Amino acid sequence: MAEEELGPLPAGRHGFSREQVAHNQRERLIAGLATAVAEHGYNAVTLTHITKAAAVSRRVFYENFESKEACFLAAFDVVVEHIRELVAEAVGAAPDWPHRAIAAAREVLAFLASEPDLARLCLVESQSAGPAVAARFHDAVRELVPPLERGRGERAAERPLPATTEDSTIGALVSLASRKVAAGEAARLADLLPDFTEFILSPYLGPAEAERLARQTA
Amino acid sequence: MRALPGKASRQPAGPQPVSRTGAAADQRRRILEATADLVADHGYQGTKIETIVRRAKVGYATFYKNFDDKQQAYLTLLDTAYELTARRVQQAYDREDEWPDQVAAGLGALFEQIGEHPNVARACLVEALTAGPEAVARHEATLKRFVPLLKPGRKLNPRRAELPDTLEDTLTGGVLWVINQRLIAGEAEALRALLPETIEFVLRPYVGEDRAAHEAQLAASS
Repeated sequence: MAEEELGPLPAGRHGFSREQVAHNQRERLIAGLATAVAEHGYNAVTLTHITKAAAVSRRVFYENFESKEACFLAAFDVVVEHIRELVAEAVGAAPDWPHRAIAAAREVLAFLASEPDLARLCLVESQSAGPAVAARFHDAVRELVPPLERGRGERAAERPLPATTEDSTIGALVSLASRKVAAGEAARLADLLPDFTEFILSPYLGPAEAERLARQTA
Repeated sequence: MRALPGKASRQPAGPQPVSRTGAAADQRRRILEATADLVADHGYQGTKIETIVRRAKVGYATFYKNFDDKQQAYLTLLDTAYELTARRVQQAYDREDEWPDQVAAGLGALFEQIGEHPNVARACLVEALTAGPEAVARHEATLKRFVPLLKPGRKLNPRRAELPDTLEDTLTGGVLWVINQRLIAGEAEALRALLPETIEFVLRPYVGEDRAAHEAQLAASS
């Protein structure tokens, strides 16, 4: 994972092929960016901060990325892909739609709580890292809409929910989580699972059933 | 309703009596407006005093007479814009009698204010989280001001004892999300069309979905 502290590559004959070294350098730069952004914030972070944290040269940086933004985008993608894998695995083991939704919420919150620097990179710094990152962030969040929409099949009421229900619901939770992370309270995010569960399920299962399932997660 | 206090526009050319305090207030307002425009376009970290004074058409001396540094100018912008917006929302809320109508009116006022001043809104809502701990604290404190406007809705819910403690924070976050996405996309004017659904989203946990949908219809037809 990108957050791991990496020592310098041993010099001389280390038995790695050229491709392996290049791949390794790219990963180190991504990890270096995550470390440097956590310390300085995206806008203030410099190439020197990143290459120093990654223990590689500027030349190597430019062999891998054309800009700071490109490196940030790569880091963002690595973290999102990791979360995607965690969620896919947890959701696959759940018996029905409500428990799939709960499993997804649990995984995301647990990951963000255990990796506060990466949580900050994804939720807070991404907001000021330029339009390409903002678009990628929006796409990543929007990925959660279709699986949540499947909850509409669980509804007893005939009248359809407003079209933006899923967007507002996910946005509300992302926004609340971002505020907690910006305030330095990422570690406490996992405590929010019961509240998140009730909020997510309520439009689909009704408030009483949502609350019952939320209580089970506590 | 204006985004910032001070003269509405630059003094027209030609000889006319301009009070010294009026001119000073005008300069201060121009600095804050320039700060809002630049932070909206380039982010807080990407904004420099050099570009603020150029855009505001004031000298460095005038800038430093008003503010110690960029941060103080930006925090003043936050304080001013947050206060004006919160007051406008509160006034709209207070004009109504029934709580669901109060919330609908407050949200309507909020969306109008943002639609009229998208750059100030973007600078103060989207960019605040990356502008340092003091800006984050002010942003958070402002969002918290909306909590007491929502809390009375709990009395309308027979299951009020079971509502999560974070409900108001979550709903505030949802409204902020809807606003921020439109600001980032440069489509503040699209907020108006999203008002009915946003009203329904906020009211539903308190009054149930039928009443919430009814209020949304009222907003859509007004």
